[in-house]
Amino acid sequence: MIAYQFQPGFILDQFPELLGGLKLTLIASAIGIAGALVVGVLAAACRSERVPLLDRLMAGYVEFFRNTPLLVQIFFLYFALPEVGIKLDAFTVAWLALVLWGGAYQAENFRAGFEAVSRGYREAARALGLSQAQMFAAVVLPIGLRIALPSLTNIGISILKNSSYMVAIGYHELTDTAVNIVSLSFRVFEMFFTIGVIYLGLAWLFGVGMGALERRLALPGSR
Amino acid sequence: MPTWVGPVVSYSAQGLVSTLSMSAITVGAAIVVGILFGALLTLPIGIVRWPVRVYVEVWRGLPLLITLFFVFFTLPAINIRLSPFLAAVIGLSLWASANVAEIVRGAVQSIPAGQFQAAHALGFNWPQTMAYVILPQSVRRMLPPLVSLLANLIQSSALAAVVGAFELLQSARRSIERLTVETGNSEAIPILAAVMLVYFVICFPLAQASRRLERSLAV
Repeated sequence: MIAYQFQPGFILDQFPELLGGLKLTLIASAIGIAGALVVGVLAAACRSERVPLLDRLMAGYVEFFRNTPLLVQIFFLYFALPEVGIKLDAFTVAWLALVLWGGAYQAENFRAGFEAVSRGYREAARALGLSQAQMFAAVVLPIGLRIALPSLTNIGISILKNSSYMVAIGYHELTDTAVNIVSLSFRVFEMFFTIGVIYLGLAWLFGVGMGALERRLALPGSR
Repeated sequence: MPTWVGPVVSYSAQGLVSTLSMSAITVGAAIVVGILFGALLTLPIGIVRWPVRVYVEVWRGLPLLITLFFVFFTLPAINIRLSPFLAAVIGLSLWASANVAEIVRGAVQSIPAGQFQAAHALGFNWPQTMAYVILPQSVRRMLPPLVSLLANLIQSSALAAVVGAFELLQSARRSIERLTVETGNSEAIPILAAVMLVYFVICFPLAQASRRLERSLAV
């Protein structure tokens, strides 16, 4: 039989250290999620409103970041950019990588939402004499945002989970903290059980919160 | 062309082969386990469905990197020795099979109830109904998300580098380290840019194919 003693007390001993890691995870994820929404809205607006030149540029950005691994993007920011004199610390790379990667995915989500706004609404806005910018701000954005909300939530959760990639550049977030503790103590099960529960719990909380927001913002007539 | 390019390219080519074989083995495992579990998820029997639901929620819900670390560190702790490559394949398979199961479940549940009833009327039992009636019809609904999962898998396999497995990103990282030591120039920019390009050349067509399939197979 396998001799491994699960020691719950060990989790309590390490808790303060894990909380420190959790704090950094939350900071990087919060900036990542918020930043990705901003980048996503702007990129999607350029594409769905067919802004000349910028729509092509944003399409390129979206396809590039969606079709290359996040980890390689992180490596590029952290290990390659210093070669041309751009030195970013681990924290900056952590949130910046999440914003750039998440922004590309959120752009696709927003675009799908914007394009699902029925043509009739756009025509009505035009008939009322709204400019394209006014129409976007007053009609397309508020409606498209609500349509996109569930998929925006999913990518938000992915950003939170993917903040764990920052182990690779030694940003001391939750996973990095746990891995450090494991390599000193070999308390594998205790640590991975704990951070597993924390990540699943955070994702669940985020999903519940966004679900409540979805119901609050539900379009009249949709269920 | 600078002299460092040749050796780096041939070393990274081995890394690429490793990335592709890692992905291929994972695809095989994930398809077998995922189809079985996905079909089980549609059963009305709670005792069967529940453990599978937990499996799917855990391996889909956990950050993939945690799963990889977990496999990598846990198995040695209970005296099972395995290579980083195999650890990565197991971790990726847990994650991918959970995702395939969800895709299969969704596709099976989108098949109209009449098909189940017709199979039942013909005297098919559950495995027969699934194998001969339901799954063949759900393939067209599974295909687009499965192709996009494949692109996701190939990208995610880069995480294997973090647990020390040899694959494309790892080969690039080692090349950069070696060049830094030997010549003082890391060449990180061209090497990592090339790695991104390789992933893009593989994943972009897959993403496009998934989109095309979605349109052409729309029911």
